[in-house]
Parts: sequence; C-alpha cells; structure tokens
Amino acid sequence: MNGTATCDFQPKDYKSDLKPIWCPGCGDFGVLQGIYRALAAIGRPPHEIAFVSGIGCSSRIPGYTTAYGFNSVHGRSLPIAQGIKMANPDLLVLAAGGDGDGFSIGGGHLAHMVRRNMDIAYIVMDNQIYGLTKGQLSPTSHKGLTTCTSRHGSLEEPVNPLLYMLAYGAGFVAQAAPTDLPGMAAIIEAAIRYPGFAFVNIQSPCVTYGMEEQQLKGLKAMQESLEGLGHDSTDRLAAMDLAQHYGRKLHLGVFYRNPEPPPTYGDLVKARQEELSKNALPVERILDLFIKK
Amino acid sequence: MSDQSPAHNLVFGMAGSGGDGIVSAGDSLLQAAAAEGYHGVMTKSFGSQIRGGESSCRVRISTEPILNPGGNLDVAVALNWEDFLKFGAELPVSGNTVVIYEAATLIPPDRIPLVGVVPRQVIPVPMTQMAKDTAGTERAKNTVVLGLIAGWFGIGAVAVMKGIRKKLAKKGEELVEANQRAFDAGRAFAMANPLRVNMNIVPSETKGALKLITDGNDMCAAAAIFAGCRFFGGYPITPSTEIMQFFTDHVWKYGGSVLQAEDEIAGIGAAVGASFAGVKAMTATSGPGLSLKTEMMGLATIAELPLVIVDVQRGGPSTGLPTKNEQSDLFAACFSAHGDVIRPVLAPTCVADTFRITVEAFNIAEYYQTPVIILSDQEISQRKETLDPIDVSQFEIIERLQPNAHDLKDYKRFAQTENFISPISHPGMLGGTYLASGIEHTEGGAPTNSGTVHARMNDKRTRKFDPLKDRKDLFEVLGNPSAPLAMVAWGSVAGVCREALQMALDEGLNVKLMVPYLLYPVAEGAYREFFASVRKGLIIEQTHLAQFHKLLRMHLDLPAGVRPLARSGANPFLPGEIVAALHNLLSELQRRHEGKLQPQE
Repeated sequence: MNGTATCDFQPKDYKSDLKPIWCPGCGDFGVLQGIYRALAAIGRPPHEIAFVSGIGCSSRIPGYTTAYGFNSVHGRSLPIAQGIKMANPDLLVLAAGGDGDGFSIGGGHLAHMVRRNMDIAYIVMDNQIYGLTKGQLSPTSHKGLTTCTSRHGSLEEPVNPLLYMLAYGAGFVAQAAPTDLPGMAAIIEAAIRYPGFAFVNIQSPCVTYGMEEQQLKGLKAMQESLEGLGHDSTDRLAAMDLAQHYGRKLHLGVFYRNPEPPPTYGDLVKARQEELSKNALPVERILDLFIKK
Repeated sequence: MSDQSPAHNLVFGMAGSGGDGIVSAGDSLLQAAAAEGYHGVMTKSFGSQIRGGESSCRVRISTEPILNPGGNLDVAVALNWEDFLKFGAELPVSGNTVVIYEAATLIPPDRIPLVGVVPRQVIPVPMTQMAKDTAGTERAKNTVVLGLIAGWFGIGAVAVMKGIRKKLAKKGEELVEANQRAFDAGRAFAMANPLRVNMNIVPSETKGALKLITDGNDMCAAAAIFAGCRFFGGYPITPSTEIMQFFTDHVWKYGGSVLQAEDEIAGIGAAVGASFAGVKAMTATSGPGLSLKTEMMGLATIAELPLVIVDVQRGGPSTGLPTKNEQSDLFAACFSAHGDVIRPVLAPTCVADTFRITVEAFNIAEYYQTPVIILSDQEISQRKETLDPIDVSQFEIIERLQPNAHDLKDYKRFAQTENFISPISHPGMLGGTYLASGIEHTEGGAPTNSGTVHARMNDKRTRKFDPLKDRKDLFEVLGNPSAPLAMVAWGSVAGVCREALQMALDEGLNVKLMVPYLLYPVAEGAYREFFASVRKGLIIEQTHLAQFHKLLRMHLDLPAGVRPLARSGANPFLPGEIVAALHNLLSELQRRHEGKLQPQE
C-alpha cells in the first residue's frame, strides 16, 4: 500500500536542488508545495518513491523532488508508472502531468488505468491551455476560447476529466486548487493513501497564456468546497452530478472515494504468482516444456 | 525428390478444409519423426479466415539436421483439390512428387488439376470412406493419412499411434481403438499398393535420443524467462502474439508479471517502466507495432535503460502480408527513431538458435543499458523444429552494472566512464535517486539545453557499442574461408543458404557463406575480412529494396561483383535456386578470367 509511514520527514526533504523553470506566478509552484507536504505527511523516504511524468510544464515536476523521477515522453506517464508498480509493488508510485498530456495524447490510457486499479496516484495540473508550446488549445479549453491555434475561437467542447474518471469507475476522484494549499495537500495525501488508482485534478492556472489577473480572481470566486456543500463522497452518482459543473464551478474536495476498495492489481498479481509458483519447473529446466514424450 | 536423396530426407505437404485435421496430422507426423530420432521442420499455412476455410502444413523430415522447410514436395496429400491449389507457392509439386489424393473427388489420376506438372506417381485413396468404415467417423481421415505415410515411407509406425493414444487417452479407449483401426487401414492400403519407387526413409542413427519440439516464438519467450526477464508488456499482433501467450502461461511462476496493454505504446511503456524499476523487461510485436513503439525506443536509448524488443517480421508496409514472411523491417529496426541512435539489432536464423540469440539480447541490453531488437521473422517464429536438448548451463547471464557504496556517495547516474557505461540505480536504492529523462541531461541527470553536454552524451551513447563490433561469436563463416564466391544471408534465409552452401560445395564450387547474428551496428571489420577474398557474391534477402545490401554499402565498400539477390515475401527462397545463382556468378568469373571481357552486369 502506498501510505505506510516509516520515518519522520519534512516537506523540504522532498525538495531537490533543481530550480523550477516555471513562469513566476504559475500554479504549478503551489502544486509542488502541496506534493512536498503530502509526501512528508506520509513519510515514505524519497528513494522508495517513483514519480513519473510525461511532457509539458507540469511534467517537469518529478525533477523538483528528491524521489526517483522519470520525465518521459508525451502522454505516456501512466504506462510507465504501471510497469514500475508491477515490477516493484513495494514502491510508492506517483504520476503527474498536464491536461494535454493526460487527456489528449495520453487519453487512451486513462480508462485502462482505471480498469487495472493499480495502486498509483495520478495528479493532473489542469490549466486549460498548452503552456510549454506557447499557448495553444488544450482538451480542457472552454468552447470559444481564442488561442494561437483557434484565432476565431475554439469550436470544440472541453473534455470533463472528473466525469470521465467517475464514469470509468475510478475508486478515488478529487479536485484541488493551489489557492487552498492545505486543502490541496490533504487531498493529494488522501489520494496517495487510497489503496488503488486515485485521480486528482488540480486547477493550476497558467499566468502567461491562460489567465489574466482578472480571471484568476474569477477562479477564486468559483471555488466551493464539497465538504461545505455536504457532499457524500461515497455516493458516485452524486459525484457525477456535481462533476457536471466542471468549468463553470470549481468544486474542491473529494468527489468520490470507494468506501470498500476492491483488491488492487498488485494484490491480484501477487496472488497469482503465489498460486502458480507452486508448480514451477526450475528456470534452468524451462526447456523441458518442449520435450514431447 | 527433394534436394537430397529421398532416403535421407522427405518433404510432405498436406492441404484440406478447416476441420480435416491437416495441421494436427502434421504435428503427429513431426512428433513421431522426432521420437524415431529424425530431425524435422514443420510450417503451416491458413487462409485469411478465422474458422473453416482451408489449411495446409508442410513437414520436412531428415536424418541430418535441417534449417529450412525444403523445396518441392516429395509427397503431396490433397484432401480436396480446391483447397490444395490455394497453397500453390507453399506446396510446390514437381516431377518427383508422389501425389496422394481423396478418391471421392472422382478425378482420375491422369486428370488431376496440376497444370504443367506430371508427378512421379498419383494415387487416389478413398480416405473418407476408409475413416467411416473403420472408425465410424470421417473425422478420422487424418489418422488414415498418417497410416498411409507410415506404410509408404516408413515413418511413425509405432510412434504415431503412441502419440495419438496419449492425446486421446482422456477421451476414452473407444476413440483410441477407432483411430488405431483407421491408422491400420491406411497402413494396409499402402502395403497393398506399393509405390513404384522405394521411398522408405533410412532409420535414424539417433533413434531414442531426446528431442524437443517447439517454434521460434515459444523458444524466444522461454529463453527470455531463462535469461531473467520478469516483465512482459505487449499488445497482440500476428505473428508475434505467441510470445505474450507463453509469458501469460509461465512468467508468474517465477515471480514475474505480464501486461496485455491497451496498445503497443502502453505495452513498451510498461516495459520501460519495469526496466527503470530494476527488472529485466521485454516487449514483442510485428511491423506496424514496431512503428508505434518507436518513440519509446528512443526514450529507452537516451535514458539508457535496458530493454528487449522482439520484432517478428511479416510482409510490409502497413498491414501488408500479416501471415507471410519477409525481412523488410531491417531499416525500421536499425533506424526508426529521431536523433542519433545506435540500437543493437540481432537476428536468429532458426528456432534452435533463437535461444542463444534471445539470451544474448538480454545480456547486451543489460550490459550496455540499451534497447536491443531481436529481429525474428514469421518463418522462424511460427514453424516447429525438432531440436537436440540445449545445455543451458553453458550460457552466462549478465546483469546491469549497479552502483557500489562509493558510487552512491555523490551519485551521478549518467557519469562519463572509460567504457561509457555508468552504474545504474533503481528505485528503492538509498542514495541512488536520479531523474531519468527523455530530455537531454547532465551526468547527474538534470535537464539541460547545452549543446556541449548533448554532444558529449551522444558520444557516450554511441561509442559504448564499439566493442560489440568485435564480437566474433556474433558472426558465422561457413565453407571455404578463402573462396572467391560468397553469400551473405541473415534470419530464416540463412537457413536456406546453409543448405545451398552444402549443395554448392558438393558440386565442387569454391564458395563461402557469412551468417551475421548481429546486424546493427554494422561490424565493418568482420565483413572486410570476409570480403577480402571475394570476387563475386550475393547478399541474399527477402526484401524488395535489398535493404541489407544497402545497409552494408552504407558502412563499407563491397567488392564490385557483390550484388543483391533480393525479393519481397512471401515465396521462400529455395536452396536449388540459390545454387543456380552461384553457378551464374561462377561463369561470369570464369569468362572474366579468360579475358573475354564482355560486360556481364
């Protein structure tokens, strides 16, 4: 399980020497702080953590931690994270990226990630824009948004990450924002502790291509805590109902947490290994399988 | 008659409708031959439908080791002509073939639908009727066929029924007895109607010796598990899927796991992740899947992660010929990535050496911290061979270089070392944390935009492979080492060329053959040495563009008389055809030598 505390760690113990290249004011700074805090609260030593990302501004994040990091290729953090988890189930495995990385190029992996229910926490820094390539349309950009690839306004509806993940059957779905740092850190911690695949959408504004200061204020105004609404986070249908407000209302908190988490993929793998190893030929004799008597 | 005396070597081809049990009969025949000490190769071919339709198999049996399924058939068995004729290229009939066919087709022996060929002998046999009469079901007609073969060619009189008994034991003694009657009836028919020429195969000298029977895909997967591979990520694609199937059957037993991913990219991605986590990992695919995996191959190259990728080639481009053989993924295997990349490419030539090549691929991947491609092909991957047992204790297993306490003090994952290979840590290792990345990085792993660092890292990532080119054990030279005539062939085509070489030597030609197991990086030295004595030569390959010929020419000057003998799949090269091409080269050489300098090329 991801969340076994072993030692006392401070958030700074997870901070690497690399200086973030993000623009001043980027929401991802806050997300990084939230991750440091969550990891310290859990207390797994950095060398027992594997932190995988794809490509994009947000995907730089593993390099800013002292964990084993993997800054891979665009959209493929989840397959790599799965391979790591299957190869060594004892590791705490995190995946992170942006909305383009996760819902466009890597979108095909999400449903299958959920189906397999590996004990991995996936954090998406959702800014509704492509920042690193300097301001193009993203899958979560709202319809009508004018960008350098949609000069006359986008013609497409945005995807709804929360509704997708709930519909796929994810056991843990939450949304957070760096404007509420303690709340966000607590949500990330809960996601990591959830025994199974956990998804956190973080509204992490892009101050360079995404939002004017005015809009940032608007974002704050849209914030509403799910707890304050009295939402029952064990009710998947109620969660789906609330998730429909994505883009219009910024609900923060846990939308859904399966109260009875099913066995993880890792548990199932372990059981199969134990069952089948009883009948194993020594590996030096594996070619005996081809003897026809 | 095939290429050698029929007494030592027989090629059977059988075809019928799906459900006739043709492939099952081929399996029984191969197993019986192995039990009686013969060497054998079996290939099978189907129509493009999933069920029903037509199927065929070809079984070659020999007293000597063989590495190809042979040329023209010695024995053709047609359960019906319509199906048989669909496999014209796979089942070529000649004037030396004995043709056995289902008498119920009511076609007289002199009217069989083989155009332009007069077989040695044509025998109608009422196989279906015999099956009904003896076993009570026409399903037993494949057993009748096996009885005919036992009677006429002396293979499997005891072993076939032993195998059938074992296979059917669970289904009851009644069925076993019924099949015994069908088999006896076939054998009795053969005894009562002897062939015009005695085609009994001579008894094998190794009767009773232990033999294994398997195909290239199963062999590759078993070898991978032996080599320590404990993770497989992949996606089904013909003709590589059996590799994943073998893993799903067996890898759990050794504490490993397998992931049937949602696509090819996720399959290799999971393998990259597993390797990063410190576990030997593999993926397998075929042409179109290799294209999809390309970006991840580049990632594993720059992140210096060990990984084995099997590409079982089929006809391309795109979906191409999914069930037929070709060697045309060579360029893709060597070059498909952006940036400056060297990635070792190894090719087995038969089922037997798939074991060694697969173990070698893991050793190279782990030692050099790199993706390695095993370039297998449909022919090797899906044909069955009889094999002598392999002494696995002779194989060394290499593990990746891990950091020691000193390395971990101020750990630099991508440290520049004398041989360009840096100790590699994995998650869980205290002191070894680093950032693996597809982006250019410093020795410590920090992302960088520095052109100087990039040039130095490119140098590290490419020069580390230099020693590979000096590996003499990854090349084989057969025949007369100083011959002026030469052949170079790789993969399954090398198996055909080995036999062509023997035929040519027997005919007195002064010729040699080079079989490279390492295709890339190109070992210039090995080829220069080989070509030093060569005046005329053939680079023999199943590609349209003569890819291997071009690959060699990129790296070295070939003698002017060396040219490609190249063609697309799916028709296999035949040993006799290659010998004929060698004779042409020889006569060109002789004419030149006599001073009659007519342009020959």
